[in-house]
Amino acid sequence: MTTGLLAYLLIPLFTAVLIPFAARTRHRLAGVLANVTLLAGLINVSLTLFNPANLASAFSGLAENGFALLMIFVIYLVALCVTFFSSYFIGNDSTVNRVPYYSLILTSVSAMCGIVTTGDFFTLYIFVEVLAVTSFALITSDDGAKGLEGAIKYFLLTFPASLFIIFGIAFLMLTAGTFSFESLKVIIASGLPVGGVVFAVSLILLGFLIKSGVVPFHTWTPDAYEGAYAPVSAYLAGIVTKVSGVYAVIRISMILRLFEIKAYHTAEVLMFLGMLSIVVGALAALRQNEFKRMLAFSSISQVGYIILAAGMGTPLALLGAVFHLVNHATFKTVLFLNSASLEKSAGTSDMNKLGGMEHSMPWTSWTSIVALLSTAGVPPLSGFWSKLIIIIALWDGGAKIYAVTALLFSVVTLAYFMVMQRKVFFGKPTEASRNAREVRPAMLVPVVGMCLLIAALGAFFPYIYAYLVEAIAARTIL
Amino acid sequence: MTYHTLLFILTAAAAVAAVMMKDLLMSALMLALVSVGASLILFDFQAPWAAVFELSVCAGLITVLFVSAVSLIRREENKLEDNRMRFYAMPLVMGLAAIAAWFYAVPFFESLENWARFGGRVNSLGAVLWDIRRFDLLGQISILAAGVFVINSIFPRRKKQK
Repeated sequence: MTTGLLAYLLIPLFTAVLIPFAARTRHRLAGVLANVTLLAGLINVSLTLFNPANLASAFSGLAENGFALLMIFVIYLVALCVTFFSSYFIGNDSTVNRVPYYSLILTSVSAMCGIVTTGDFFTLYIFVEVLAVTSFALITSDDGAKGLEGAIKYFLLTFPASLFIIFGIAFLMLTAGTFSFESLKVIIASGLPVGGVVFAVSLILLGFLIKSGVVPFHTWTPDAYEGAYAPVSAYLAGIVTKVSGVYAVIRISMILRLFEIKAYHTAEVLMFLGMLSIVVGALAALRQNEFKRMLAFSSISQVGYIILAAGMGTPLALLGAVFHLVNHATFKTVLFLNSASLEKSAGTSDMNKLGGMEHSMPWTSWTSIVALLSTAGVPPLSGFWSKLIIIIALWDGGAKIYAVTALLFSVVTLAYFMVMQRKVFFGKPTEASRNAREVRPAMLVPVVGMCLLIAALGAFFPYIYAYLVEAIAARTIL
Repeated sequence: MTYHTLLFILTAAAAVAAVMMKDLLMSALMLALVSVGASLILFDFQAPWAAVFELSVCAGLITVLFVSAVSLIRREENKLEDNRMRFYAMPLVMGLAAIAAWFYAVPFFESLENWARFGGRVNSLGAVLWDIRRFDLLGQISILAAGVFVINSIFPRRKKQK
């Protein structure tokens, strides 16, 4: 772990502990404190990341780990959007208790920063468990029966993952005698036979695949996202499950150096599971009637792209995976927050009961369009570039069938989103949508901001690409 | 020697308490105490890795899981007759265990002591925890904080429903 980034972990934890004392009598203060902390962190990390001087010096002035810094930026961004949205979403009559809600979000931000800054599997495991505990409580925030069901499913179905991870770690201790990423990389790069180490790391990898909801292990995702308290599902889908599962998969494929012949079979399985997720997620999303459930299946499909790229394992594919992870956080947060807005103003997120919402909620409709176009990979939005990198990397690496299928299924992505857009926002207004009003402007700030970011990431892609190459590929992958 | 005996007795007492407690929450906390005791013993016998795992996973994580599970259970007043069987059997089992411990555990600890001396006692508990696993400690603190917030979030609602 780099101590330079420790503040991003400690300050939210400190605020989380502060909130129960400071906001004991005035509960609204909890939201203010959480927002201020996250905003300060976000500004701080953005200044480091988007400093124009960086580009001029080819990021040589950047002392920190580039990958961790980028992930911290995304974590703070999504968390800030969610807390800002929730501070207006939680009504006065709500059953949600503000104080523990914001404390839990800040604790999980701290845990996620721990995950992305650590350089050691055991520490990673501990922080992943912190994240599991906090998400469990966050899912049940509004105390609905569905939330409880989702939380219990989330917990029971991701529990075997922890088992695999801890077994893998124990096996790693036996074979390699170390948990640290750097030493493992050295061991794998050396000419020694590394079967035991690859086996141990593959066990850990299996655990993280379960946690990221890749296809044969995806059954918990739709229930957890659908049942969760509405802003929490944006938080879960946008960043929590991505950091607790997908991030680790990318990290492991960097360690295994899949582009050399070493862990060939692991790489093949990873790619196959990624492809399966893309296909199954997209086909299942076509058939959903519940907005949040459809988004959950779409999330599974998009995670498939990341896993596929991580399985390919060439430096270019890994860059694509990292960038797609960032993009996925931006567009999925927008879509889930919009589903929360729909639920609040129309009282339902069932797509058959909604229709013609574009007249009553124009902002929500247009931000959804931006986000879904980016998900489907339409230029010049950010999602296009990450999918392009992934597909080029697949083609270059010789996995031509995978490349073509990935391309085809990005058309299917566009199809199911178009079906959603037509059912919910276009068409004739229904009973539910006639009475609906656009949500308050303050609740639109996070989604509009995110949409601007999606456009900006697409438009300033050369800068992003330079960052990916200089600060991540050159330092972490190679 | 006395240190180990004390730790051993403390651990055993906590284990008995974990079984006997009627309150599930107290029972879970007692189980955590067992893990803490066990990990202290492991530390002292030069098994820092095992100790760190025990402390991290059993004392930290499992306790949080137990406590959050207990917090989800609604407290029903005793509808079932409490099974008193364990209270009759327990003294017998404990007596047997104590006699066996007197015979076997004391020499066992002494032999372990010799091995520990053989291994060279350099790692004090603080050194291991702080120097080798510094960032895990931070994770432990986050886990505890998370546990407190989970209880804070779930318990009041359960009370309201009652």
